Amino acid sequence: MISIGIDAGAATTKVVVLKDMTMIGWKVCPTGFDFAKAARDLYEEVLVDEGLVVRDVGLIYATGYGKNAIPFAGRTVSEITAHARGVFFLYPEVAGIIDIGGQDSKVIVVDHGRVQDFLMNDKCAAGTGKFLEYSAKALEVSIEELGDLALTSNNPAKISSMCTVFAESEVISLRAKGYAKKDIAAGLVVSIAQRIAVMAKRMGLKENVAFVGGVAKNRAMKAALEAELGLKLYIPDLPQITGALGAALQQSRAVKSSSTQSKGS
Amino acid sequence: MTREIKSLQFFKEAYSARIEQLRDSRDKGMKVVGTFCLFVPDEIIFAAGADRVILCGGRSNTISVAEEYLPRNICPLIKSSFGAVINGSCAGDLACPHFSMVDAIVAEATCDGKKKMYELLHEYIPTYVLDLPQKPDSKSSIDYFESELRKFGRFMEGLTDNMITEEALAREIRSGNETRRMLHRLYDLRRQDPPPIRGSDVIKLLQKQYFLSPDAFRTGLTEVCDEVEKITVTGNKDGPRLMISGCPMPAGNMKVSQIIEDMGASIVVEESCTGTRSFWDLVDEQKDPWTALAERYLKIPCSCMTPNQGRIDSIIELAEKFDVDGVVYYTLQSCHGYNIERYKVGKALKEANIPMLAIETDYSDADLEQIRIRVEAFLEMLS
Repeated sequence: MISIGIDAGAATTKVVVLKDMTMIGWKVCPTGFDFAKAARDLYEEVLVDEGLVVRDVGLIYATGYGKNAIPFAGRTVSEITAHARGVFFLYPEVAGIIDIGGQDSKVIVVDHGRVQDFLMNDKCAAGTGKFLEYSAKALEVSIEELGDLALTSNNPAKISSMCTVFAESEVISLRAKGYAKKDIAAGLVVSIAQRIAVMAKRMGLKENVAFVGGVAKNRAMKAALEAELGLKLYIPDLPQITGALGAALQQSRAVKSSSTQSKGS
Repeated sequence: MTREIKSLQFFKEAYSARIEQLRDSRDKGMKVVGTFCLFVPDEIIFAAGADRVILCGGRSNTISVAEEYLPRNICPLIKSSFGAVINGSCAGDLACPHFSMVDAIVAEATCDGKKKMYELLHEYIPTYVLDLPQKPDSKSSIDYFESELRKFGRFMEGLTDNMITEEALAREIRSGNETRRMLHRLYDLRRQDPPPIRGSDVIKLLQKQYFLSPDAFRTGLTEVCDEVEKITVTGNKDGPRLMISGCPMPAGNMKVSQIIEDMGASIVVEESCTGTRSFWDLVDEQKDPWTALAERYLKIPCSCMTPNQGRIDSIIELAEKFDVDGVVYYTLQSCHGYNIERYKVGKALKEANIPMLAIETDYSDADLEQIRIRVEAFLEMLS
């Protein structure tokens, strides 16, 4: 059985293809303006890549900010539930998940893949991928370079502003004071890590914590978060796609629960 | 499942009739005061032969005008209320027209934001501030509050030129208790599963409690209770049963309750000023009326009180009584009292094994999608 999950995120769209509970394909692309178009294009591409046709595919589950804008998705599931399912599939022992995405960050407490509690960031961009994006822009480096640059610093600058817009002007004033680029980069990474760590501590995360979402690809962020939390984080090879993976897994769950229901009746 | 309660129409239509009635009464010389809070006893106002109307703002459209005077980062309820007053003395569509119909405002010393806003309000309308002790759990607090209520009574006597007799006060206490008993009747009906009336309908009804005259409110309420009582609930559960706990939801503020119901959950009880806090405890009819009022009103578990264990006890009691699956802890931005109490309430609910979702918001629609995602995930977690 082929199941497909789509995560229509604010920054990137992700698709995962499962065959009999094994991941056989995945794809990521920038979302752009049109959630529906990004999802449709990516879906069609992944079908071609895997040599599949539409009728091979069962119910499609969508998640992410744009999930309701995808007409060909049969059902939707929240990002929180999707990440919990996806991470459980990869690491059954995980008790906590930190997800830093393009528009928001979440801390999820899980027990065997079931959400027990969760916390999301305030409604602004502080502590999200957007913050990193703006920071990189202010430093005139790519977002990929920002992490590597930060890792070379031994003396991170102190960034006091949590506001994405104010942080940008703070970066400019630090540059004017002659701070090295790498130290400012490290300071920005630490400032996000501190904010996320407060959320994680508030939710009581102690061990077996996974770090997912696009920002988890940033090695400096991983190191800073691990230092703040005093623990080693699980990071999947493809941290961006756990939401889409969880969405794809919803189908097997739906099939399972409907078959249990028919047995029961 | 949608249940249209026909008799709720009464409350929708009562608005203009009430405005008309207030205008007539004032033409005949009756005094009308505006109020903002449950701590101001209706009984004293009515016993002085005056009328009252609630002025709490729940709409966002008067906030920008208020921000010309007030800081941006105070709670939207305060800004919305203040904006409605200063907005051309209620000439435009923006403001509720009730402000032009009041002779005075009876305010109360609850939170800092409101207290300081009342000082500014006084420049527009005579504003009397009822003082409140902040530590309610002592005899001396009750004594002090009783003396404050008597002082407020003398203010009302001065305003109306009527004496407040013990008989009149006792009569109004009986009247207030009658309303409270009726609301208990309505809430008892909501304990059924699935509930026979939508939570958002009950919130809208309660928004009229201090707007309409007690007689009109009870007439409408009786019709609603009679109709709801006849509904036989059948079929499956409607989705999770939720309690809303936290800040008030004055008229116009239906954002969060609407999202919750749109997502398929039922709101079965509100631990809020537009909920149980307004009617849960009755006034003792056997005691001296002033003492009885002081005792009853100081029991209101508002977060401006310290400590406020009564609120936590009430939440746990209501959660059991209404068999809730979860609690939505609803707060307005910059409402420090309820925002800080979230920690204690969350801890108590965790011990009782009841999941809680905290939502902090304002009157704008900017965070609709963020709230939807949180509610959706919370409901998935409960299912």
